[in-house]
Amino acid sequence: MNAAQRPPPWRDVRVRKWAFQMTVLIVVLIAVLYVWSNYQTNSQASRVPTGFDFLDQPANFPIAGSDFRTTQPVKDALGVGVANTLRASIAGIVLATLIGTLVGIARLSKNWLVSKAAGVYVETLRNTPLLILVIFAYLAVALRLPPVSEAATPLPGFVASVRGIGVPWYRIDGSGWPVAGVLLAALLAAIAVRRWRLHINERSGARAHTAWWMAGTIVAVAVVGQLALGTPISGSLPRVDGRMVIGGAVMSPEMFALLTALTLYTASHIAEIVRGSIQAVPKGQGEAASVLALSNGQRMWYVILPQAMRIAVPPLANQYLNLTKNSSLGVAVSYMELTKVSRTAIANASPAIPMLVVVLSMYLVLSIAISLLTNLLNRRLKVVER
Amino acid sequence: MFDGQRWAAVRAAACLLKGSAMKYKSNHVRWLALLGALLLMLAACGSDDSDASDDSSADVTSGDSTDGEGASGDSNGGSDGNVLAGVQDAGVVRCGTRDALPGFSVLEDDGSHVGFDADFCRVIAAAVLGDAEAVEFVDLETEARFTALQSGEIDVLVRNTTWTASRDGVEAATFLQPNFYDGQGMMVATDSGIEDLDGLAGAVVCVAAGTTTEGNVANEFARLGLDAPEIQSFEDTDLIQEAFQQGRCDGWSSDVSQLASLRSDYPDGPDALTILDVVFSKEPLAPAVLDGDSEWAQVVNWAIFATIQAEEFGITKANVDDFLDSDDPSVMIFLGQAGEDGAVVDPGLGLPVDFAYQVVAQVGNYGEIFDAHLAPLGIERGLNQLWSDGGLLYSPPYR
Repeated sequence: MNAAQRPPPWRDVRVRKWAFQMTVLIVVLIAVLYVWSNYQTNSQASRVPTGFDFLDQPANFPIAGSDFRTTQPVKDALGVGVANTLRASIAGIVLATLIGTLVGIARLSKNWLVSKAAGVYVETLRNTPLLILVIFAYLAVALRLPPVSEAATPLPGFVASVRGIGVPWYRIDGSGWPVAGVLLAALLAAIAVRRWRLHINERSGARAHTAWWMAGTIVAVAVVGQLALGTPISGSLPRVDGRMVIGGAVMSPEMFALLTALTLYTASHIAEIVRGSIQAVPKGQGEAASVLALSNGQRMWYVILPQAMRIAVPPLANQYLNLTKNSSLGVAVSYMELTKVSRTAIANASPAIPMLVVVLSMYLVLSIAISLLTNLLNRRLKVVER
Repeated sequence: MFDGQRWAAVRAAACLLKGSAMKYKSNHVRWLALLGALLLMLAACGSDDSDASDDSSADVTSGDSTDGEGASGDSNGGSDGNVLAGVQDAGVVRCGTRDALPGFSVLEDDGSHVGFDADFCRVIAAAVLGDAEAVEFVDLETEARFTALQSGEIDVLVRNTTWTASRDGVEAATFLQPNFYDGQGMMVATDSGIEDLDGLAGAVVCVAAGTTTEGNVANEFARLGLDAPEIQSFEDTDLIQEAFQQGRCDGWSSDVSQLASLRSDYPDGPDALTILDVVFSKEPLAPAVLDGDSEWAQVVNWAIFATIQAEEFGITKANVDDFLDSDDPSVMIFLGQAGEDGAVVDPGLGLPVDFAYQVVAQVGNYGEIFDAHLAPLGIERGLNQLWSDGGLLYSPPYR
């Protein structure tokens, strides 16, 4: 190849691609180095500690709704914060998915009232700042519950008061390990039963009914286990004891406000994703299902939704990530999640910038974990192309 | 066809790049040459960077020679480490306060800041600049206050801040003469019938987040061997008030001065709340400056002492001019006035000699500031009396 025939380097596409990327990389590196060295210089000059030793210092603050002691180190406090973040996020993801899917389907309903009501729900909540919703749910709903002395019991076993909202829950007496062992055994038994049923199905053509068989196996093993271990699992009902709601599962008004706002807000976004995904399923699929004389429900459940789910999973994953990160708005109503705990720690003499670095990396880990799980799901649901 | 004249300028700029590239036949070598040139640029930028930081530290050393602390104090947001000189150049003291602490600092409708802490900002401005109004009030949330100090956003923090060892250390703050000796107390609803901390065992106590308050409550109940209450900490006071009114909590804990000010503002009237007769922590509220500039720390300290000393001398805003020809030499030295022989004592603090006069004439003495802002809230002088009246206020002599 003759050098004279090649374009000069500034017009050579290959050179330009490289040069541009290298320049961007170098500029970014310089910017990061500059910010970091600036922080280091200033911190050293003003003698602000820059290390992470503070994580082992006693926290010296309590955390509402946990048995955290003030003498425990800061890292344990962050652990409690992460647990609370996870609690709100997981409950929020489950509830928002349920409500969002129902509302999304309702928006496509042929019933005028149902579709319009769903539309109003989506448009109001989707266009409201989440922070306002959180504060509203706290001030206008959670704090307006009756005082603890006049706690309401809307249903037997349910308690609602401004000190907490209690629902029936279970309680494990003694060690949880035998119970976990029995549950694992039940799961393995259920999988074995499923294989057996599928085998029969292949041999004789009889219907497998795998779901029923699996559920039945789990219940049977669990009941046997419960009796054999001397009933370690018992029900627990909430009740008002003096100034607190105890027993059952008690949700603080702060968590209630955060969870309600997060769920309703994210559900409005999920509803749109579900609606869009359903509409993205080719019309012929639904028509074909109708031709086969499937009922409306069967058409939705067996034909449309499985295909819509494939389209919905990637944007849903995005909403799950948002919900997890948005749980940091619990700060506004003093729900002791990760951000709130870190702020309290900073006010109790943990250095601000290293603490923020720790908190950022924890959110990063949470987000990456959710991404991995949803990617796994996405890979399973993906259409296998041949 | 684009070759030639049109690109002459670009070609000239890229001569180095082109020169090296044209020498080699191989593409790979060309890539390497390009990479090498870019790395050279990076290295050049890198060394520029370190040159710049060398320059700035040199500035600091030269500018900071007065207090002998060397290059330690160069974090005052761009000024060269000498906060006093920076303040005098700017003609304004940047004072960190909070706009929503009744009695201590409140932002009025007309934009003025009224309160005890706000007045101590004015005291500092009067001492340093001779003008009590030369203050830029910076509204700071609890969590932001030390960061603002560390980043040089403010010169001094006068914001209801308790002096503790870890703040002195970890937050790189230097705390000065406390302007208010406070202690943490507990407030309950009058109709709850709770009379002491025993009555709050296993209850819910609301506190303002981002303070030492949460830990103090927990530690006090542990010390008394009582069931720990659930401690619910809120980000702002309005939210606590709302939560308390709705019965979210039984107790409301904060510094006693704070409780008094909150009680005076309570929507159901002050009588609906009772402050329990317990104080379970020492809360010396003190102004703070950033570590590393002892000259500035001294200046702020002596400005605060001036208010205490003035009260001890009986000098008030109204009668300060009568003292200008006092027969008492120590009063004359304090006010920076020439004595009988025409000599003026300059303690060498870096302040105008008449700084104490400016403080008292423009703002007032400690008692006047207290009476104007804290007495109306029902707060008693208590520990905040002169040492001669059994309190803790004691100024070193001005000589």
